[in-house]
Amino acid sequence: MKSVRRFLNRVANLAARQEHDERLRQEIEEHIALQTAENLRAGLSPIEARRQTMLKFGGVEAMKQDHRAERRLLFIENLLGDLRNAGRSIRRMPGLAAVIIISLAIGIGVNTTIFSWIQLILFQPMPAVSGASKFLLVEPHSETGGYPGASWLEYRGLQTQVPALRDMVASEMVPFNVGEKGRTERTFGQFVSSNYFSALGLKPAIGRFIQQEEAERPGTDPVLVISYDYWQTRFGGAPGTVGQKLRVNDRALTVIGVAPKRFQGTMVPLKFDLWVPATMTPTLLGGARDLEDRAIRGFSLIGMLSPGATREEAQSELTTAMAQFARDYPETNAGMSGDILSFWEAPRGPQRLLISGLAILQGVMLLLLLAVCGNTANLMLARGSTRQREMAVRVALGAGRWRIASLVLTENMLLAFLGAGLGAAFAVWGTTALRVAPLIGAFPVQFQTGVDKFTLAFAMLLGAVCGSIFSAAPAVHLARLNPQDGLRASSNTPPRSRARKVLMGAEVGLATVVLIAAALFLESFRSASQTDPRFRPEGVLLASYDLSGRNPDDTSEREFAERLLERLRSLPDVEAAAIATNVPLDLHGIPSRPFTVQGRVRTEAGQDRATTNTVTPAYFKVMAIPILEGNDFADMRDKAAPAQAIVNEEFVRRYLDGADAIGRRIQTRGGSFAIVGVARDSVYNAFGEPAQPAVYFSYRDRPASEGEIHLRTRSGRETALASEVRAVLRELDPMLPLYDVRTFSQHIDRNLYLRRIPARMFVVLGPLLLGLAAIGIYAVVSYAVSRRTREIGVRLTFGATSGQVVLQIIRENLGAIIRGTAISWVVAFVISVHAITKGVVNLPVFIGVPAILLSVATLACWIPAWRASRIDPMAALRHE
Amino acid sequence: MKQKTDVLQGTLALMVLKTLDVLGPLHGYGIARRIEQISGDLLAVNQGTLYPVLLKLEQEGAIASEWGASENNRRARFYRLTREGRKQLQVETQGWEQTAAIIRRFFDVRTEDFS
Repeated sequence: MKSVRRFLNRVANLAARQEHDERLRQEIEEHIALQTAENLRAGLSPIEARRQTMLKFGGVEAMKQDHRAERRLLFIENLLGDLRNAGRSIRRMPGLAAVIIISLAIGIGVNTTIFSWIQLILFQPMPAVSGASKFLLVEPHSETGGYPGASWLEYRGLQTQVPALRDMVASEMVPFNVGEKGRTERTFGQFVSSNYFSALGLKPAIGRFIQQEEAERPGTDPVLVISYDYWQTRFGGAPGTVGQKLRVNDRALTVIGVAPKRFQGTMVPLKFDLWVPATMTPTLLGGARDLEDRAIRGFSLIGMLSPGATREEAQSELTTAMAQFARDYPETNAGMSGDILSFWEAPRGPQRLLISGLAILQGVMLLLLLAVCGNTANLMLARGSTRQREMAVRVALGAGRWRIASLVLTENMLLAFLGAGLGAAFAVWGTTALRVAPLIGAFPVQFQTGVDKFTLAFAMLLGAVCGSIFSAAPAVHLARLNPQDGLRASSNTPPRSRARKVLMGAEVGLATVVLIAAALFLESFRSASQTDPRFRPEGVLLASYDLSGRNPDDTSEREFAERLLERLRSLPDVEAAAIATNVPLDLHGIPSRPFTVQGRVRTEAGQDRATTNTVTPAYFKVMAIPILEGNDFADMRDKAAPAQAIVNEEFVRRYLDGADAIGRRIQTRGGSFAIVGVARDSVYNAFGEPAQPAVYFSYRDRPASEGEIHLRTRSGRETALASEVRAVLRELDPMLPLYDVRTFSQHIDRNLYLRRIPARMFVVLGPLLLGLAAIGIYAVVSYAVSRRTREIGVRLTFGATSGQVVLQIIRENLGAIIRGTAISWVVAFVISVHAITKGVVNLPVFIGVPAILLSVATLACWIPAWRASRIDPMAALRHE
Repeated sequence: MKQKTDVLQGTLALMVLKTLDVLGPLHGYGIARRIEQISGDLLAVNQGTLYPVLLKLEQEGAIASEWGASENNRRARFYRLTREGRKQLQVETQGWEQTAAIIRRFFDVRTEDFS
């Protein structure tokens, strides 16, 4: 108790220091006056009286010290003193401090930004949903390793058969055409199960959510919930919005409620604005069979563990249920199993793309930060050595080793935290920049990242770790100092520091690893975007339309496509026009369908599958895919010709054993098709994919409500055509929006979008790291050279040429650098060959990176060496 | 030397408390005079050491202080015992007497008592 009160008093005294000194002074004065008066009364002379008083009182200064020690917190005062001192010494080296703080800030800022995204996915996979990370994904898993999503009937079955998961929720992403005739707008929403909002534990901003009985019978409940943003932007946040009708796919739906602020659906980072009961699927999508057909796997399922249940129980229940489905419905479920996964393990969709990229990025960036630390340690070490004399004086005056170390530590920590602070500011900027990032393709994307207390703590933690890493060496170095040596040694006897050279080597080594990783990444990105897709994307304009809102039948769809194509072909710059249901290199991939080939007996279990696309005649002309055998499809108006198919070379190789394909028949659930042609293989889902079997069906036989218009235009005219295409469609049908108009090159760019973010980062950070390494080397060498001015002077006097001096200095320093580079080169090489590229070595990268690095390093050594060699020998000898 | 200060610090604090207990509020010089009168030469040379002790006691809450006028009408800091200080004095007096009694008994023991 007593000591606590004493401590608190001392803390209070920190502020009242002056006051206390004054009080003590007055007390002493009074004491001495009284004692002197007493002595005078005893008959002493005034001088003697005062002398006796002082003798009796004892050492005033020593007593004052005791008094101060009694009332103060020494360590805090020392810390404040150290901080002031550190501040002063940082102000004395503005250039160096700026380099250190900015490089740390960049390293910490980049890492913090990436961490904020990772954190978003790990801890807040669904904004506005509390405990969102407790939700697990339920993913059907096909025997070929794919995750195709769940069918509605599967969902209904799993709901009851996996009791370990309560409140399993199904949702399906869907684009809607919202609005009145002539000004419809494509808006993304989700078809959801009735328990969607209640299972997520959400409270409506206004109105109510979908209720249990509203999503029971197909088509009976034309209601929807809108997002908070949609409410604000389209309805001005009016409280009377609930009860209003919204025209969706040409049906009137009643707004029953508004989702809470920030909620953007269950598929982060995609952002949805409308939620409609899944039972409205057939009504809104023109009789879609999603609710009855087990082959249509559009739904994503998530659920939370029931109280007391474990993930293992849920997994085993799911396995049992899926096995049961496989027995009961072999046609659609043969070979299907299921996995319970955490959000961050998402096997498909935008999350998957994001996570794998981010993990690599974070690893590389942490390495970068480590290199920055090494650089800083080196700079501080070099600087620390110039302060040996200052420190020696401090030790001689009685500063303990710990005080010296803490002085250096405080200085470095101050630098580190300044860097971390600035880095956090960079991260704020970085996360905001990303929040308004462009769309991924046609999809609305929103990252609700920001710098919160976790990311801030992460930045500060990085700062503290960096600070301790780069303080360690200089602090130990200075604290070991013998004051005698420090004072005696003049700068002409340079202490050769192995530590500096090792650090320099290590730093360059780290830079090698990071630069090689960056270069490999860029190289893979570049090769991905430059690989020949085996069709010609240049000069092709794409645009999409969607008739699904108006319940079209085959005839009307076919007629619509026919009329549209006719008008498009008549446009002056259009060379060829076609409509297809799918576009290659789409983010979502092209569907693959099962079929049987007439006359082929399957030996292994399972089904023959191929990538499928349904196209109009002239598609191959637009895409510049040659038809190697046979002919293009029959004309759209031709009613006589039988159902046709065109297959690719890989299909012939794999399923027809290379035999003549023309005339063979393919049987699918949709009917029987005669092969009329063989097209050349091309890329379907990703650059660099192995050859895929593909079947093209004719739009004439299988019209669809959604169409992708493909226009081959005269070169350079593709962007200018967009408005003319819009006008054509408006003439045909004012109710129908034309959306997602883009050139094929833009379409491909989208596919690469998620890989481009890290690629751009590497482009910026690679040179930065190179610059940092150069600065580090430069600082170390110029410091070492400056300490040897006299030695260099002696050499020059004895006839060494300046060239020899330069060469020797470079040789001495480059040794450590080459060793560092070599070691990490080998490490990078081994990892790359064994783990990443699997045996393929990217020689330009592995030769180019060290070559560039070593030339920069040589230059950084050469400049200070050259400067030293130009010195006048006489001046050098007189130096110090 | 160091040991002496330790003993001094401990006993000095007790003496300050006792002095204030007996004489009521006093300024630093008054306390020093009183201790000098009773203890002889303990404070004859180092009167100044009293002040850190006073501060320590004040920060522990055993005494309190305020400005007042001294005999010659100068501003002086007067110290007085707080209730807590009185309690502390009691406890420490008891402890001190106990210790003193034990030590005395030790010194009273003669060699022949063991035989």
